[in-house]
Amino acid sequence: MSTKRVLLTGNHAAAWGARLARPKVVPVYPITPQTPVLELLTEFQAAGEFDAEILTPESEHSVMAACIPASLTGVRVFTATASQGLMLMHEVLHYAVGARAPIVMVNVNRTIGSPWAFWPDQTDSVAQRDTGWIQYYVENAQEALDTVIQAYRVAEGVSIPAMINLDAFYVSHALEPVAIPEQELVDAYLPPYRPAHFLEPGRNESWGNVVTQEMYYRHRRDIGAAMDRVPALAVEADRDWELATGRGWGAIERYRCEGAEIVIVTMGSMCGTARDAVDALREAGVAAGLVKVRLFRPLPSAALRKALAGARDVLVLDRNFSPGVGGVLHQELRAALYGMKSAPQVHGYLAGVGGVNVPPDRIVHFAREARASDAEPEPVWVK
Amino acid sequence: MGQMIDMLCSGHAACPGCMEALSLRHVIAELGPDTVAVIPPSCLAIMAGPQPFSGLRIPVYQPTLESSAAAASGIRRALDVRGRKDTHVVALAGDGGTYDIGFQSLSSAAERNENILYVCFDNEGYMNTGAQKSSSTPHFARTSSTPAGKHSRKKNLTEIMAAHEIPYAATATPGYLDDLLQKVRKAKSMRGLRLITLLVPCLDGWGVPDHFGVGLSRLAVESGVFPLYEVEDGARYKLTGPGKTRPVADYLNVQRRYRDVDEAEVEQLQREVDAGWQRLLEKAKPC
Amino acid sequence: MNTAALPPTAWTTGTTEVFKTGTWRAALPLYLHRPSPCRSACPVSGRIADWIGLARAEDFYGAWTALVENNPFPAVAGRVCHHPCESACNRAGYDAAVSICALERHIGDLALAEGWRFPETPESEDRVAIVGGGPSGLSAAYQLRRRGYAVAIFEAGRELGGLLRDGIPPYRLPRAVLDGEIKRILALGIDVHTGVAIANTEQFLRLHGEYDAVYLAMGARRQKRLPQLDYGKSRVMDGAAYLAAANAGKPPALGKRVAVIGGGSAALDVARSARRAGHEVSVIALESEAQMPAQREEVVQAKEEGIALYDGALLQSVSNGKLQCLRVNFKGNNPLEFTKIAGSDFILEADAIVAAIGQDPDLAALRPLLAVDGALLRTDASRATSLEGVFAGGDVASTARFVTQAIGMGKQAAAEIDRWLMGDEPLGTPHEDTVPGAAINTFYHPRAERPAASTLALGERLHGYAEVKGGFAAEQALAEAARCFSCGRCTFCDNCFQFCPDMAVRHVPGGYAIATEYCKGCGLCVQECPTGSLVMREESR
Repeated sequence: MSTKRVLLTGNHAAAWGARLARPKVVPVYPITPQTPVLELLTEFQAAGEFDAEILTPESEHSVMAACIPASLTGVRVFTATASQGLMLMHEVLHYAVGARAPIVMVNVNRTIGSPWAFWPDQTDSVAQRDTGWIQYYVENAQEALDTVIQAYRVAEGVSIPAMINLDAFYVSHALEPVAIPEQELVDAYLPPYRPAHFLEPGRNESWGNVVTQEMYYRHRRDIGAAMDRVPALAVEADRDWELATGRGWGAIERYRCEGAEIVIVTMGSMCGTARDAVDALREAGVAAGLVKVRLFRPLPSAALRKALAGARDVLVLDRNFSPGVGGVLHQELRAALYGMKSAPQVHGYLAGVGGVNVPPDRIVHFAREARASDAEPEPVWVK
Repeated sequence: MGQMIDMLCSGHAACPGCMEALSLRHVIAELGPDTVAVIPPSCLAIMAGPQPFSGLRIPVYQPTLESSAAAASGIRRALDVRGRKDTHVVALAGDGGTYDIGFQSLSSAAERNENILYVCFDNEGYMNTGAQKSSSTPHFARTSSTPAGKHSRKKNLTEIMAAHEIPYAATATPGYLDDLLQKVRKAKSMRGLRLITLLVPCLDGWGVPDHFGVGLSRLAVESGVFPLYEVEDGARYKLTGPGKTRPVADYLNVQRRYRDVDEAEVEQLQREVDAGWQRLLEKAKPC
Repeated sequence: MNTAALPPTAWTTGTTEVFKTGTWRAALPLYLHRPSPCRSACPVSGRIADWIGLARAEDFYGAWTALVENNPFPAVAGRVCHHPCESACNRAGYDAAVSICALERHIGDLALAEGWRFPETPESEDRVAIVGGGPSGLSAAYQLRRRGYAVAIFEAGRELGGLLRDGIPPYRLPRAVLDGEIKRILALGIDVHTGVAIANTEQFLRLHGEYDAVYLAMGARRQKRLPQLDYGKSRVMDGAAYLAAANAGKPPALGKRVAVIGGGSAALDVARSARRAGHEVSVIALESEAQMPAQREEVVQAKEEGIALYDGALLQSVSNGKLQCLRVNFKGNNPLEFTKIAGSDFILEADAIVAAIGQDPDLAALRPLLAVDGALLRTDASRATSLEGVFAGGDVASTARFVTQAIGMGKQAAAEIDRWLMGDEPLGTPHEDTVPGAAINTFYHPRAERPAASTLALGERLHGYAEVKGGFAAEQALAEAARCFSCGRCTFCDNCFQFCPDMAVRHVPGGYAIATEYCKGCGLCVQECPTGSLVMREESR
């Protein structure tokens, strides 16, 4: 099977992923730096290469509001947003999960106002971690394309929507060679969407009616059970993808973690930089490794505990900030590792908040610093 | 009319004599079984029934309060790609969910000319939460959030929507049932975004007895407070009702929500109604 | 809610019909066939709303069939009935009463023109004798014959019709109409004996012995007389005598000026007949114009025809063609209840005086056998006299001296005779509340004018006895039928069904039923009923 290799930005790669997944309804609203996703999909459609209903409502809120019942009408739905757009969707993000609508959405991580800024920062999406969306963080354009397709497998497998996050500009606008798989390959990997329940005249099914406490309880518990199935399903989806394309990404990725005394843990574009830092540290004789958290929601806690077992220090690099707590991944990881026998100490560095550049030598420096000190309970602001 | 097949089920929880239930019954019966409904939070959602018991024999999707038009658009597009282009998608929303919080998404759906029928069940306030004012609440009406009477006028949804140059915008009320059915039938035969502003007196919220909803609906029309008309493509106006034959006071006097209006306020309301009626007549004048 | 019954997901797949919202209710609508006020006021208890409904549906034969159930004389009654139905009509309180009488005439005339006949009925062995061939006797004969009895009529006069023929001038009741409706009754097969009076006790007893039952309806033919008048004089006469002659086409010669005494229909008939015979006519009535028992229309037409009306006037004495009169305030129905107005004397000159102040029955032959009440035969609520098997009605037993009252009594007597012969209990007259005007939702009845029937031009009236009042054209009749509120008679308009927010009104064979398990008792169906056929009844649980 021949695959096309082309130079694509992360945005365009994501749009290609969407095109290949054959969604039928695509409500979408422009916002920097996501707009190229929208533009390329509308170009595909104009060229007759993308057979989907694209609708462009007046706001991201209406985008998501349209996505949910479109999905409940039994079709595959795609959308993309960023930053303020995701914020505006917040109410309906919850609603989508309640509706068990397996929408796939690309979010380009961008600072949220105020003040206005357009830099890479993951606060927008980590702030949605309680909505119940599956969240992926990708590191490059190829992974963006692959993950959009994989996310449909997972989302539709558990009837939970999925969000693929890519950092503004570092991923969204960086050109990289990307392998575009054949449509037949994707079709074989991702069967048409056929939900058990959907809105259609003649089927006596409605969605959204008021429920009792008991039913609400059961419904939330069911969502939890579905989420519990996601890590295994994500791994399986990734393995199947790897079998088909030769590319696998894992729910988490361990990079040079063999015998590592210090493991850097981060998400998104920072992983690429951290990889270089790990190489540099290893070259300098420091047993360092990287764990990339690709699947952030649900957090693959078991896999993380296993991956980090034996390390003395874990350095979390958070390109996000939750005032009053610190880095969200830092908090999440501490919770995930809590109670573990000989748990590593977890250093939380707020690195890259607001899009500030964090080059590999700085990460090398952070790692050395962390190794030399006890972990602080408070987050550490670094540049 | 004997062949009417009901799509609304008995056992729904609307108040006795509810005009919204009555109107809902006829709107969806006229649309028929090949219809998907969108019902945001409202008294209509009460009628839609507690899960797992539906008040409607057609599929219903209940979106968030502000999202009816967007949700209907999503369903429309999904049905279209599934080859069900003739299935009707109807948004059945209250005035709060339309004039206020849902207005942005409605305006956008109108601009896109989405192929949906939007019926605003206008009871002039947030009746489901205990009768607070909405931007549809009329001047001087007392609500639980305007205990001294509302100080500003009612938004004119039909005109605003007609200004979007949508294929069809019309007013209707259950007191003129044939007119209402005729408008639903006409809207049903058209494509694009069609809007019906359906005035539904709220018995409790407006303060009239259980049996008087239909009568009050007629007083609203006869007093010129709520003229019956339709607009095609934002341009072609047509009066469909009986005309203005009564003073506004006839309409006000029977409602508890106006019980504190004074003479000057009644006169002002009369002037407002007269002016509105005049404007409408001019628009409806044959060119 | 039983959680075990919940489906595995939060989708909604059932219906709210599981909730029996009828438990919310405090009152339940009830379909009720209450009598319309017109029917209650109607002397023959005619199914007015029903036959108007049939006419509205252009089923005129059906309308006529319903009409003649209670009255075999629709063309006659449509001309001469005092139509209390119209005074009672709920529409009178809205715009104007439905022109019921004219509609009845329209249907009656149509039946005569079309030659519609009553269905033939085989005769049984039971025989009923009817004394008097006037409206009451003919009505009873018709009702009994239709019930299968063998009927014989004994009429003193030469022709059947009684007061209809002798008392009502042809310009009000053309003879062809009267003859047509009588002929149609006789076609049922009735044994008619004209010129046979029951003049004495023996004749009556023979009749009583020969027949299984007897209905006495010989009318009131003995003229009441004014003590002020000397009836011995040639130009002083009884109204009945004048009318009998005039109606037979031979009005007596009475000089130029005729004064008619009386305020009832008979007096006006005399006056208008005399006017047509070329006299200058004055009417002296004790009542004020508004109080006169004659129909308003008759008074108006009489004045149009140039008759001078002296109302509220008492004739005190007569001398040399000069009538001494005095204005009075007339108080009630009793002729004695008036006060004289001092100084209001006036003199009227006349060449002849005709008094039409009422008539009493001649009870000479019956008095020894039957109980009487004053001038009338005594009857009970079932029209039975004091003698077993003998019933009485019409003017002989009642002071309600209207043609249709007589027809109604004939109908009632027939029913009671039937009941008596069958050995059943008396029927009596059950009282039911009629539909009040407030029960009619007038939204469904746009205001519409009551059509005026045409009247003959004045110039043409006085040249003969042509009928003064015209009938409705077909479209006028339909329009008028459409004005009827149909009080208490469901028209199956479907409003109750359509306006129920709870789908709790169901179509059932023959009408509607309330689904009590869902009806919340809002009362909209009752409110929106255009005919007052529904009421709310409080419920207690």
